[in-house]
Amino acid sequence: MINQSQFILLLKITLLAFIVGAIALPSLIEMVSPFWLLLFFIYWLIYSDSNGIYSSAFVLGILLDVFQGGILGQNALALVISSAFILSVKKSFFVSNLTTQQVYVFIASLIYLIVFLITHISVQGLQIQWLVLFVPFTGAILWPVVRFLLAKLKQ
Amino acid sequence: MRLLKLFVPIFLSIILIVLDARFSYLDNFKRFTLTLLSPIYLVVDLPSQVIDWVNDKGSENELLVSQNNYLEGQLIELKAKLQTYNNLTLENQKLSNLLESSYLLPDHNVKLARIKSISQSRLSKKIIINKGLNDGVTLSDLIIGSDGVVGQVTEVTPMYSTVRLLSDPTQHMPVKNSRNGIRGITKGLASNDRGMILKYIPLKSDIKLGDIFMTSGIGNSYPPGYSVGRVKSIDENLDPSFMTVYLEPTQNLNRLELVLIIEEKND
Repeated sequence: MINQSQFILLLKITLLAFIVGAIALPSLIEMVSPFWLLLFFIYWLIYSDSNGIYSSAFVLGILLDVFQGGILGQNALALVISSAFILSVKKSFFVSNLTTQQVYVFIASLIYLIVFLITHISVQGLQIQWLVLFVPFTGAILWPVVRFLLAKLKQ
Repeated sequence: MRLLKLFVPIFLSIILIVLDARFSYLDNFKRFTLTLLSPIYLVVDLPSQVIDWVNDKGSENELLVSQNNYLEGQLIELKAKLQTYNNLTLENQKLSNLLESSYLLPDHNVKLARIKSISQSRLSKKIIINKGLNDGVTLSDLIIGSDGVVGQVTEVTPMYSTVRLLSDPTQHMPVKNSRNGIRGITKGLASNDRGMILKYIPLKSDIKLGDIFMTSGIGNSYPPGYSVGRVKSIDENLDPSFMTVYLEPTQNLNRLELVLIIEEKND
């Protein structure tokens, strides 16, 4: 189970991720903007104990699917599988320097993107903008900023 | 046990994907959840509302008077154009009667709405407008701008509605050429920003660059007579039996702030 302080942090992080994700950006920037919920969720995942992580990922993914009007379960599946990767490297992630953490974030974002695209293509066909392939890079680049801001939020 | 904890949400996600893609059982759940999440739009929109409020408060009287004069001028100009339109409508009706045509001119209620947010998801093209169930908006209502169709309402919450744009790859719209009545169905193109494709038009059909396609009203899903797109290129080599026509929307979405919601008149 998730304890109260972790739950409050998760609530804050989720709200922030949804707000940041809903801000209208120029289409080019929007296309390459990171998976905000994934970045924010990775931060929470690193500082929480292992119980209830997959179910939290599932619920948040479903909420994001509804919010974005996409295929229900698409973000949920991607977030659960990416969380499984981060959880498997959690101990290493926790003690790594920033560059190594960025590599982990890049891999998690890549897994998220692959699952996301597989779902999208299998349901809607090959209708994608190729710029979306840059998302793992922007996720990794922005990780230090996200980590810094969320550390302030956690205090 | 840990694997079970992982596979249960994965399995549930896959079931939800299949259910959502194939059936509409989950629509009520989505609508209810979206209603709960809709205050987030309010938070996101707060800065622009504050800026609008400050601008309104800071506007000088002279500026408002000059704006008012300009808008009055525009109103007179539009009324003059409307007279011409009304004459053309009457003439068209007479001609339709002579030809015993069943063509009906569009007669709809319109509601003004403001765009709140644009494209929340990177692979779909949607906007949020500030009118919802409380304002009488219903699913499938057509949304237009001053120059043509913008899209169709796909989700409705009490305060907001989600509009799927014409250029979204899942958006299809029956259209006809305003010049000669050639019919087709448009499909959005994600890979070509703000564009549409018109497939399965027989080869050698009379379609020229610059032709305007408008809603045909076939299937009663959309009211007829609103501009959808202008032909920007024609490809006759893609398919040996049909030509492929590329359209650009007549309505430019850049700087679009206000839209009209079109509803069928019930009386």
